[in-house]
Amino acid sequence: MRRIALPPRPDWTQQVERLGFAFHTIDGETYWDESAAFAFTLEEIERDIEAPSEAIEQLCFAFIEKALGSEQTLTKLAIPAEHWDYIRASWQRGERNLYGRLDLAYDGRGPAKLLEYNADTPTALFESSAVQWDWLEQAMARGVIPRGSDQFNSLHERLIAAFKALREPSPYRLHLTCVEGSAEDKGTVDYLTDCAVQAGLDARFTYIEELGLLSDGRFCDGANQPIETLFKLYPWEWMFRESYGKALAGSGCQFIEPPWKALLSNKGLLACLWEMEPGHPNLLPAFFEGDPRCATLSPRHVRKPLYSREGANVTLIERGRVLDSDDGPYGAEGHVLQDAALNLFSEDGKYAVLGSWLVASQACGLCLREDASPITKNTSRFLPHYIEP
Amino acid sequence: MKRSTQIGLGAAGVLLVATAWSLTGDDPPENLVYNSLSECQAGGQLSLQQCETAFSEAAAARIKDAPKFRSQSECEAQYGASGCNSASIGGAQYFIPALAGFMLARGFSGGQAQAQPLLPPTTASCPPGSTQPECQQARSSSSSSGGSGGTSGRSSSSSRAYSTTSGRAFSAASGAAIARAGVSSSSVSSRGGFGSFARSFSSSSSS
Repeated sequence: MRRIALPPRPDWTQQVERLGFAFHTIDGETYWDESAAFAFTLEEIERDIEAPSEAIEQLCFAFIEKALGSEQTLTKLAIPAEHWDYIRASWQRGERNLYGRLDLAYDGRGPAKLLEYNADTPTALFESSAVQWDWLEQAMARGVIPRGSDQFNSLHERLIAAFKALREPSPYRLHLTCVEGSAEDKGTVDYLTDCAVQAGLDARFTYIEELGLLSDGRFCDGANQPIETLFKLYPWEWMFRESYGKALAGSGCQFIEPPWKALLSNKGLLACLWEMEPGHPNLLPAFFEGDPRCATLSPRHVRKPLYSREGANVTLIERGRVLDSDDGPYGAEGHVLQDAALNLFSEDGKYAVLGSWLVASQACGLCLREDASPITKNTSRFLPHYIEP
Repeated sequence: MKRSTQIGLGAAGVLLVATAWSLTGDDPPENLVYNSLSECQAGGQLSLQQCETAFSEAAAARIKDAPKFRSQSECEAQYGASGCNSASIGGAQYFIPALAGFMLARGFSGGQAQAQPLLPPTTASCPPGSTQPECQQARSSSSSSGGSGGTSGRSSSSSRAYSTTSGRAFSAASGAAIARAGVSSSSVSSRGGFGSFARSFSSSSSS
């Protein structure tokens, strides 16, 4: 794994905009950054990222089986008790999942370590799938990277195939939703809508604020169309606690991601996995705050709220001193403490986190986010990668 | 290969096809999609002979694989006015969608890839009167099947909508074009029960 400085395409904004990538610059700051790229060997990709990602997913499934039967675990994860049966039913029905992103620490040395699992509402998908792919083709054509390079990225075809298989019979009618006012979220959902259409689905967008409830208990879109299947880029922990949370179980709606993903998109997962498999090569020691075993953590560790997005409220601590933190609104439900990864990629004051994509639980893509601090935030830049020939 | 071989972005009207790099140093052809034989030959990326071969492969594949209709109106209902031609296949008379263009994988000159026929967009993805530029481009030139018209499939400025023989659209935003099915007879009892956390949190709802 190497970070290689490369000349950006002189017309890179036009090039990415022609694909429909509208949020390459966020709040005036560059988000899509092709002034460098990460080069991997095929062995690094297959041995250190692809295989461990699928192994972690299997471990997560084993965890869900256990957790759904344990009131103690569900309580620790701060899952509201009134939704336990709803989550159990979605798991027992075998409701399929579409996608997720494992954030990994890896610098080419030693096994990749799980930092967290964005299992419910991951973004950076379109830029991983299409924009990065197109960059690779053009970088080879320009001769700035070797011809015959490759990329860990079959996201596009996997997403289309996964949409086809999410519900029987297929094709089916699919609604997709996100909050109003976020270009990044809307861009992600627009891309998924495109994939769903290519899967032959009758795909319709509606903002989450427009959702309504019909007299028969079903949800409906802004045009009063009943919703059978809903892709929501909106976290389960919020849906459980909002006023329509009570209507979930009776809505007959199949959600994507399914309700059982609420157990995985929770930082408590990190402590639970370590409890199940202490010493697993791809896990970092982690415990719920207040657990006496926290004393066994290394002096350099990270404090993460159970529910937190994009680095918000995450604190890096060394010997009791706060080295880095990000403000945010999270933390009321509790925290986990996790050892700081020793193999987080860093070079010249820049830190990079790997995002390993799973589609229908298969590892099939990679993205890299870079920041000037060890905590990856929503201001982190997206850098492309390639596999050396 | 660890990456997708092609990516179709319907909303942007772009089809991206992975290069099969020969590693011999020859520059690959840039164009992936031609609307006519003459456009291929004028493009200079393939030899005249390669263009003819590709065109005749696509034309033959269209006869073999395109949906066949008994009447012109049935065909036009799916492919739009002037989107169909009559064809005699196995002694029987059919109407089939016009050959709107053909597509070859990059690296075609060195490889085995067969040229694929491109048909006019379906009325599901490009309904009559659509103002989508890709649809207008497609409709304005589909009547002169095989005539000159748009350019490369990589150029979004002049991109147009097509469909494949399997019915897949890879240009034009078809999501908005799908006819709405009947609206439920149930009445709406409330609205706006989700989204309150997003309003109260300044930070993102995604990660």
